[in-house]
Amino acid sequence: MNSNAPFDFLRDRLNLSRRTFLKTSASAAALGASGLLELKTAKEAKAFAYEPYPRDDDLTTVVTSCAHNCGSRHALVAHKKGDVIVRLSTDDGRYQRDGVFGKDTFEEPQLRACLRGRSYRQRLYSAERLLYPMMRVGERGQGRFKRVSWDTALGFVAEKMIELKGKYGPTALLDQSYAGASYGVLHKSDQIEGLLARFLGMFGCRTSSWSVPSYQGTTFSSRMTFGTIEDGNEDDTFAHSKLIIMWGWNPAYTFHGGNTFYYMRLAKQRGCKFVLIDPQYTDSAAAYDAWWIPIKPNTDAAMMAGMAYYIFSNNLHDQSFIDRFCLGMDAGTMPDWAKDQENFKDYILGKYDNQPKTPQWAAQICDVKAEDIEKLAKLYATTKPAALKASWAPGRNAYGEQYNRMAAALQAMTGNIGVLGGCAEGVGKAWHSEAVAYPYDQNANIWYAAIKSDRWAHCVLNYPNVKREEIGLWPRNDQLDGVIPNIRGIFWQGSDWFNQLTNINKEIQAIKKLDLVVCMDSTITPSGLWADVLFPVATHFERHDVALPWYKGHYYIHRPKVIEPMGESKTDFQIFTELAYRLGYGPAFNPRATRDYFNRDDEVDEAYLIDWWQHKVMAHQGVTMSWDEFKAHGIYKFILARPHVAFQDQIEQGMPFQTPSGKIEIFSTQLAQIKDWTKTQYGYPIPAIPKWVEPWEYAHSTKIKDFPYHLVSPHPRWRTHSIFNNCTWLRETYEQELTVNADDAKRLGIQTGDTVEVWNERGRVVAPAYVTERCMPGVMALHEGAWMDLDDKGVDRSGNPDFLTLDEPSPAGAFAYNTVLVNVKKTELTHRPGWDKLATARSHVFRRDQ
Amino acid sequence: MAEIPETDKKTAIKAAIKRRKEVYTPVKPDMQLGFIHHNVDCIGCRACEIACKDKNGLPPGPRFRRVLYVEGGKYPDVYAYKINLSCNHCAEPACLPTCPTGAIFKRQKDGIVDIDSTLCIGCRRCEGACPYGAPQYDPEDHLVKKCNLCVDEIDAGRKPYCVMACMMRVLDVGPIDKLLKGEWATPALGPNETPVRAIKNFADPELTNPSMAFVPHSKGKVE
Repeated sequence: MNSNAPFDFLRDRLNLSRRTFLKTSASAAALGASGLLELKTAKEAKAFAYEPYPRDDDLTTVVTSCAHNCGSRHALVAHKKGDVIVRLSTDDGRYQRDGVFGKDTFEEPQLRACLRGRSYRQRLYSAERLLYPMMRVGERGQGRFKRVSWDTALGFVAEKMIELKGKYGPTALLDQSYAGASYGVLHKSDQIEGLLARFLGMFGCRTSSWSVPSYQGTTFSSRMTFGTIEDGNEDDTFAHSKLIIMWGWNPAYTFHGGNTFYYMRLAKQRGCKFVLIDPQYTDSAAAYDAWWIPIKPNTDAAMMAGMAYYIFSNNLHDQSFIDRFCLGMDAGTMPDWAKDQENFKDYILGKYDNQPKTPQWAAQICDVKAEDIEKLAKLYATTKPAALKASWAPGRNAYGEQYNRMAAALQAMTGNIGVLGGCAEGVGKAWHSEAVAYPYDQNANIWYAAIKSDRWAHCVLNYPNVKREEIGLWPRNDQLDGVIPNIRGIFWQGSDWFNQLTNINKEIQAIKKLDLVVCMDSTITPSGLWADVLFPVATHFERHDVALPWYKGHYYIHRPKVIEPMGESKTDFQIFTELAYRLGYGPAFNPRATRDYFNRDDEVDEAYLIDWWQHKVMAHQGVTMSWDEFKAHGIYKFILARPHVAFQDQIEQGMPFQTPSGKIEIFSTQLAQIKDWTKTQYGYPIPAIPKWVEPWEYAHSTKIKDFPYHLVSPHPRWRTHSIFNNCTWLRETYEQELTVNADDAKRLGIQTGDTVEVWNERGRVVAPAYVTERCMPGVMALHEGAWMDLDDKGVDRSGNPDFLTLDEPSPAGAFAYNTVLVNVKKTELTHRPGWDKLATARSHVFRRDQ
Repeated sequence: MAEIPETDKKTAIKAAIKRRKEVYTPVKPDMQLGFIHHNVDCIGCRACEIACKDKNGLPPGPRFRRVLYVEGGKYPDVYAYKINLSCNHCAEPACLPTCPTGAIFKRQKDGIVDIDSTLCIGCRRCEGACPYGAPQYDPEDHLVKKCNLCVDEIDAGRKPYCVMACMMRVLDVGPIDKLLKGEWATPALGPNETPVRAIKNFADPELTNPSMAFVPHSKGKVE
């Protein structure tokens, strides 16, 4: 290289001259601060002078959506050049019927993507993409693989499946699919009835995982109380509330619908008041200027019982509502056949156990002052309409279902069910979408055993000495009832469950015993490292589908194949179809396809989707827009005839609830009639009415001596569980921190930025500390989803809290993620935020304490 | 670090402004675009930051848009809010006169301040001069870059990526004089809310006359 090159470069740019300085205009030069260097450039400065910088209007615009199990699912607009996505934008009002730039109305809000969706190019083009099939070499979990052909990988898996079913029977393969990758109407990865369920069920070998990590306690409560999980109001209804109680809810982090928090902002502007009950003063508390009530984790049912006591004893309950709609809320609403059993009001008043559930009694348990409990109870009972949003995190606890059942009782006794601005949630599914375009028939959910999802390791490690109640075995009507599954293999589709279920160290012991572990994903994941076979899956940008809202919102988003599948990746549907052909049931599995589907899926996918649009969406949902017009726009937004309020017809017109009695069952008909709990999927008794049941690990346990801090593991905002952990834009924006109360930190000698070890008898992890006044003493928070990274001493350096959680689900199947006691100390061990070394979070630089 | 007395600060600012006026006459644009941000209703999700990184093809490191978290109080009487900044496209930008090549310019049409990357030599003097941290060094290209108000989107009749990314609609762009008077219709400003120019943890607006409006938190107000 010419040694003068740097100077030539400078000279071209600087255009040195010795003229005296002048007052300048935009295109002339500026004066150096010292006055020594006086320059003038001949070239006029302009924007984007370097080439190429393609403008959005120069690129090809393709509307699509995001695809993960995040609580929302909004639009992503790809701007492509050739087959490369150059950048992403989001809905701006143009991509719908009568769309124009900037259209953003109450009825048809823009479906703006979140920070994770906006970072998607980093995930799409990441170094972690799986581009070809791989098979394990070395020990399981070492993460060593060799590249193989599709034929080799598929052949191996098919052979192994036949072998395991032959040797061990129809329960040998465990279905651990989840909603992580593929939530669309066609390429469905779903825990219960997705493509993997169909594939394994039709093969004749499937143990199903029936409990949902996110909200099983809540699901149970909604089903028992209301007979359905569609107990939710649509997002726009929140704008009508006068009071919103966010109980264990942080909509600023976990989007329950991507516009819900915006509608809540509108409510705030209309004068709505907010209360937030959470150990942390979250961003939700700040944004809504909420009355913050810090509460000890896992004591929520007690506080609610205290509120119920106050409401009953001050006659603030809506007796007319109770009489008309509730079963078992009090003696007068008990069914005739159960007159001698406990009713809710008398339980609260202490008639059965001589312990009235007063606010004072509750205060001792939950650390909330009795006068605050009373104040909140009065506020909730007297504000109309009021929304008690009892969200899912407090249900992810020991006996978590009792919290949701208790919340439903409060919602009912105040008459806030079935009214605009009220809330009956629960699970909170609202607008009913047409969710199924994939083949769906009697083969949708064939299973030979079904267990509580995080008890698989216990089952594998102790087989055959396992009692059915220990694994929550779902009852059957045939000779397989009560037969403990002999799990020899796992399939992961859209699932990083190995990293995400409770008690990872126990899982590690269990997985070593298996004969087959298959992981299908678009990137390598911590689970993938423990697989025998890795199938590369095309992302949702690389296959044709339609997106539906995850949870709230009423729209569909068309998802064309934006780019061709990268490398040798295939869709889950292609992989399962090809395997099904090899195993003898290809045509039945995928009726519209031929064997060639593995190579060419466009026509078949189009056929499924157009059929779905015409015979489900148009036929059932009053849509008149054609499939072609929908594809041309990109987004279809429904305008509802009336705001969607759950149970409005039940309350206004007397339609029955979908419960055995037709009423809101505070006293559960089903639960009251169970005689032998071990013969049910619950395994252990569940009271027929909501009750405070003391958790096995919390602030008042004796264990607190050795493990003085209660750890909660909320959902992070910068990942969707574990998805996006490899995206450096997100990792540099947030830290995988342990949130510590300032007084606790002082005692522990910890400051923000220090690295700490967090441990209990289940495991040990390392994380940086964030010291704040925004967290209650005795409680710490560590967000789930960090990609586990064990060092040679078995310490996880990523800060994954699931090394600390226990696989002890509640009777209803709730995951006890937040029932964790730990100890903490400063450490010399280094924290490893990601598997790459690229990004260091700078979030602590951007904090100010004043 | 020792606290600089208020009087010294004010004197220093006055002196800096005087000196700058001697050597540099800023462009007086036909209309000055500026941002407005609601410090309280912002949930701090950072979608705006990421949208900007994607549009500008930035590596990890430089962040044209930066959300600052402010928190205070003592448990349980705590508060928190956010300050969201990119470049303030100042009326008297501190960066512009420091540039030895004239790479930094201010548009006559709408007052957008931009850096021409073909003229930038990466000397980073602008980075040092800006009170807000707007110019950012890109370690891959060895150049300094910053928010240019998505000038290509503005010219296409649209809005910057950050504004269009904001899920709470607390960030917007418009003529700064109208925004500050509350005369510009924007979802960023709620009913009965008054925007301000100056807030705590934000440099004195007298320094560079930033085109920025805030809806402040009560604890962030400056008297």
